[in-house]
Amino acid sequence: MVKYTVKRLLQSIVTVLIIVTIVFLLLRILPTDYYFTEEQLMKFTAQQKEEQLLAAGLLDPIPVQLFNYYGDLLRLDFGESRRIQNGVPVVEVIGKKFGISMKMGIISVGISIVIGVALGIFQTRHKDKIGDTVGTCYTVFVNAVPHLVSYSLVLIFGSRVLGLPSMYSTRNPGPSSVLPIVCLSLGSIAWYAIWMRRYMIDEINKEYIKLARIKGLSDKQIMVRHVLRNAYVPLAQYLPGSLMLTIAGSLLVEKFFSVPGMGPLLTDAINRYDTNVVQTLVILYSALSILGVFLGDVLMMLVDPRIRLTGEGGAR
Amino acid sequence: MDNNNTAAKVEEEVINEDELFHFVEYSPEAAEMIGYSEYSYWKSVFQNFFKKKAAVVLSIVFISLVVFSFIALAIGHYNFAELVPDTTKGFISPNSEYWFGTDNLGRDYWCQVWYATQTSIKLSLIVAIGEGILGVIVGCLWGYIRQLDRVITEIYNVINSIPTILYMTIIALVIGQSFTIMAVSLILFNWLVMARNVRNLVLMYRDREYNLASRTLGTPVWRILLTNILPYLISVIILRLALSIPGTISLESTLSYLGIGLGIETPSLGVLLRNARTFFLDYPYLLVFPAVIVSVVTITFYLVGNAFSDASDPKNHV
Repeated sequence: MVKYTVKRLLQSIVTVLIIVTIVFLLLRILPTDYYFTEEQLMKFTAQQKEEQLLAAGLLDPIPVQLFNYYGDLLRLDFGESRRIQNGVPVVEVIGKKFGISMKMGIISVGISIVIGVALGIFQTRHKDKIGDTVGTCYTVFVNAVPHLVSYSLVLIFGSRVLGLPSMYSTRNPGPSSVLPIVCLSLGSIAWYAIWMRRYMIDEINKEYIKLARIKGLSDKQIMVRHVLRNAYVPLAQYLPGSLMLTIAGSLLVEKFFSVPGMGPLLTDAINRYDTNVVQTLVILYSALSILGVFLGDVLMMLVDPRIRLTGEGGAR
Repeated sequence: MDNNNTAAKVEEEVINEDELFHFVEYSPEAAEMIGYSEYSYWKSVFQNFFKKKAAVVLSIVFISLVVFSFIALAIGHYNFAELVPDTTKGFISPNSEYWFGTDNLGRDYWCQVWYATQTSIKLSLIVAIGEGILGVIVGCLWGYIRQLDRVITEIYNVINSIPTILYMTIIALVIGQSFTIMAVSLILFNWLVMARNVRNLVLMYRDREYNLASRTLGTPVWRILLTNILPYLISVIILRLALSIPGTISLESTLSYLGIGLGIETPSLGVLLRNARTFFLDYPYLLVFPAVIVSVVTITFYLVGNAFSDASDPKNHV
């Protein structure tokens, strides 16, 4: 197990490094004018700009820049933000933002699991009856209709009928974060319901459930002890990943409700050529998603002792 | 079946022991009755599909909506290209002159909505076809040629772990925003999913005995892929394409809403909703019309796609 973990960790580091390099190179495509704030662009002469860029090392050949950047990374120096918050260390910029995204995200993951799994179980119990159809209508609607449209509908319903605030405000965080959380949960509720239903139906058709029925176990016992526990295993793999990615926030939801979270930070940073912020965010995101997959595998192994990560075969 | 039974009975009566063993004349009709020589893949697909009344109705709805979007532009009182902002006419509720009302700048909403619907459908169809072709080709090579497996897997991992938003933003800033750029860049990132699905299936089928036999007989690789393996993949490919259309419409609206998708001069769902975001709480019709139309398009396509993919799965035939 230790050997496996170490091997996987090393592989992940290589992957992150490749991703960072590509992002670094992609960002060098952008014109260097973005390096300056609007004010500086107006005031500076071409020569002053040149000097500034030279001092910042942006005129060095790309391989040199890349090498320097690796050096900084080794010292865990992620640099300073330029245009988002001039001169503030990137870690601080991100540190201020991720709390709110994470709080909303974790609440929404909790809600989605409870409601999604419950909906999946409900649909399985009422298979081919009206209850199942209603659930399917919900999942089809959420999956097919563009998110932007369903968020708008939630917004209209929430603010018109229920009188909830239509924008997030820091002065009133409780009520104003209800609608963003609902929007965050819509999709994942549907996701959990679909897969829960699928796995439970697969499980119910297996022989050992027939045996359990013959043994005289009650319906409830069969559902809770056998079907549910087995059906949840494949879903357990995604749980750590989705928890970790709550830090990244949701771009659309946060932009839509003006939540000052992590989501819009990436696009803002790219739009304003804040290369250090972009690079750090990409490292963060890729590390989180890789770690999420790994923890998911571990959790799956803990939930279902039959699954082994080491050893041949098995690997998907 | 009935015919066969009566035929058998008649024969039983006539038969006598001397005639029990004798050579039968070759009869082409009888020969054809062995096996499923009358089986045609696409015929069964459509037969299965037309059995589902709901799916047929939905596809008629979809097609008539697409046709209507052209008619709607023709019969509207205003031409999209000739719209002039006129704030005095802003926020006129739907009436006989402006069938969907006007937006904040006083432009006719009817032609904007239908133009946006067309843009979304056109974009998603182009992207679906493009990603289908690219994805199937890469997926087949990825799954079939062992030496390529590691390389493509690595490329897949790397492209897949960088957020799409990052690519799209950089493309929007460096290259620009237009319909063609959007279509090409979406194809370039969407083929990943298709390729991965295809690859997994190719891996499953590539070493079946019949393919081994084909290989031993010296069939070229492209023919094994094309005639031996690809037919098994059709239902998965169709499903993926069908889901990609609502997906593309949704992604386009998200990107345009964030300002990194289509430019303002090409009205699309995202652009319309971005303009309407500030106002639709007070003027709900600005949201309702585009939302209803696009939801009908995506939901019908989603369901029809699912039904068609079920119908095209050979396991459900015969």
